[in-house]
Amino acid sequence: MIDIAGLTKTYMDGDQKITAVDNVTLSVAQGEFVSIIGHSGSGKTTLLSLAGGLTKPDSGRVVIDQTDIWSLPDDALSEFRNKNVNFIFQFASLVPTLTVFENVMLPSAFGSCCEGLDEYAKSLIEMVGLADKMKSYPSRLSGGQQRRVAIARAFVNSPKVILADEPTGDLDEATEAEILDIFRKKNADGVTFLIVTHNQSLASAARKRYAMTGGILKEL
Amino acid sequence: MKKLGLFYLAVRNIRRKLFRTVSIMMSVAVVAGTLFSATMVIYSVKRSIAVGTERLGADILVVPADAETKARGVLVSGEPSTFYMDRSVLDKVKAVEGVAQVSPQVFIESSSFSCCYVGNAMLVGFDPQTDFSVKSWLADFSIKEFGPDDIIAGRGIPTMVGRTLKFYGHDFNVVGVLAQTGMTFLDSSAFIRMDAAYRMAEESAKKAVKPITVTPDQISAVLVKVAPDYTPQRVAVKINYAVDGVKSIPSDEVIATVKDQLSKLLTYLLTIGGIVWVMALLLIAVVFSMIVNERQREIGLFRAMGAKKGFMFKLLVTEAALLTTAGGVVGVALGGIMVFSFKNLITTQLKVPYLWPSTAFIVELLAGCILVSLVTGVLAVLYPAALSARMEPYNAIRKGE
Repeated sequence: MIDIAGLTKTYMDGDQKITAVDNVTLSVAQGEFVSIIGHSGSGKTTLLSLAGGLTKPDSGRVVIDQTDIWSLPDDALSEFRNKNVNFIFQFASLVPTLTVFENVMLPSAFGSCCEGLDEYAKSLIEMVGLADKMKSYPSRLSGGQQRRVAIARAFVNSPKVILADEPTGDLDEATEAEILDIFRKKNADGVTFLIVTHNQSLASAARKRYAMTGGILKEL
Repeated sequence: MKKLGLFYLAVRNIRRKLFRTVSIMMSVAVVAGTLFSATMVIYSVKRSIAVGTERLGADILVVPADAETKARGVLVSGEPSTFYMDRSVLDKVKAVEGVAQVSPQVFIESSSFSCCYVGNAMLVGFDPQTDFSVKSWLADFSIKEFGPDDIIAGRGIPTMVGRTLKFYGHDFNVVGVLAQTGMTFLDSSAFIRMDAAYRMAEESAKKAVKPITVTPDQISAVLVKVAPDYTPQRVAVKINYAVDGVKSIPSDEVIATVKDQLSKLLTYLLTIGGIVWVMALLLIAVVFSMIVNERQREIGLFRAMGAKKGFMFKLLVTEAALLTTAGGVVGVALGGIMVFSFKNLITTQLKVPYLWPSTAFIVELLAGCILVSLVTGVLAVLYPAALSARMEPYNAIRKGE
């Protein structure tokens, strides 16, 4: 499903050249749940962004569902993301002027909308336990609730791949467990997960685990 | 539910910061309002002059040399005034090369009517035998013969066809009321036959409280039509040279006088409008650059969810366009209220004639001003919008954290 080969990304910090991702090769099969653990600054978020087509690598390639994503023109890459990949970031990043329901529906604004999507969005909101908050604005929600809305949003375009960056960061244990439960359900439905975290309990939920240090990836 | 679209998201974004939204709208409103009201005033004055001079029908107005200022005052601001010269001027003017037709007129100032209306009005006596100005209006009223006691009133005189108007003790039958020109001279004047004017003057000693002294050998002005191959300016010079004690005023010059009076105002308004426009442009550009900066993470997130560069560009342009168009609508509404409310003050202060433009022109002007507002917003936001579209999603997300 995801084939990463020889992926390298460097950036300049003043005069110093930093290698954020160093010749990483990784293969994730369809329906797999993979976690990458590492400290802050180890390059795991950069790797996730390279894998999701958010930043261009210096070298190497990323193939998702048989598409070499970095060979696509920018518009085609955007379209590919809209249809196949979605992200969960460490921050909820909801649009403050949209309701919970509208925030969940947001990906539909950037691509073709399918029949019955609003019903599906509602079911996702119910799934994350916010059925009574459909019309609420983000400012009325707690941090945990906002995170759950972001998770519901990540699934609305029925992506084949979820790339999650610290999806349970700053959340209490109960909420973390609920979110993990949602991930398991979706994983059981066939969604491929690639999660980067420094949270051991979240990482251990994955069937395949990697560690990242100084931009280098190693399987655990 | 309807699919979330660009327009919907733009409208929602506009609602985020009310003060900022209102500030941008008001800055554009000032530009649109200034543009609308200035154009309305200038066009109205020009239209009035054009309609008035066309109604006058003469290429040149010959008046006593020492009454030139008074005569211009009569024409431009409609200040009632009387001045006389010897009738012999008529033949002398007629003999000048390039003069095709001449017709005399006599002006009588009337500050009081016998009843109902007190105001500054002019009685203009014309010669039915030689007239080429008033006669053209008679056709509008289906009048074949203009009788000795008939009168045509300007729109500014409160009367109607069939009524009687009394001047200096003499009754006149109203046979026509002219359409408005905006030129006070024409709108506040009443036109009678010249022989009636002299008779009225003669009888005024017995009938009127305040008699008038004008005799048949006196006229106030000579209306001149120039021959086809001559220009009014050239013939005016010839008349001034050939006839002593007169001053020829080409109709075009009346327009030029008003243009002079307007040019200062126009320069002032254009300068203010230009400064405000540039400031509005800069304000919008700066505010939208700030917006792009504020929303970096959101921009990155939108891109991560599949928004194309074009979508991000169009989103910001739509926001700016909506804001500035709304500002334009508010501006023309305020400008319209100002112009309509203070019309009398404007004309009094500027001493210019004024005639409302046609509805079609007002509609076109409204649309034009709103379009200028829209273009202002789009122009101002081009750079920030391009900046927003060019952002690499990952960098946008990281910088916005």
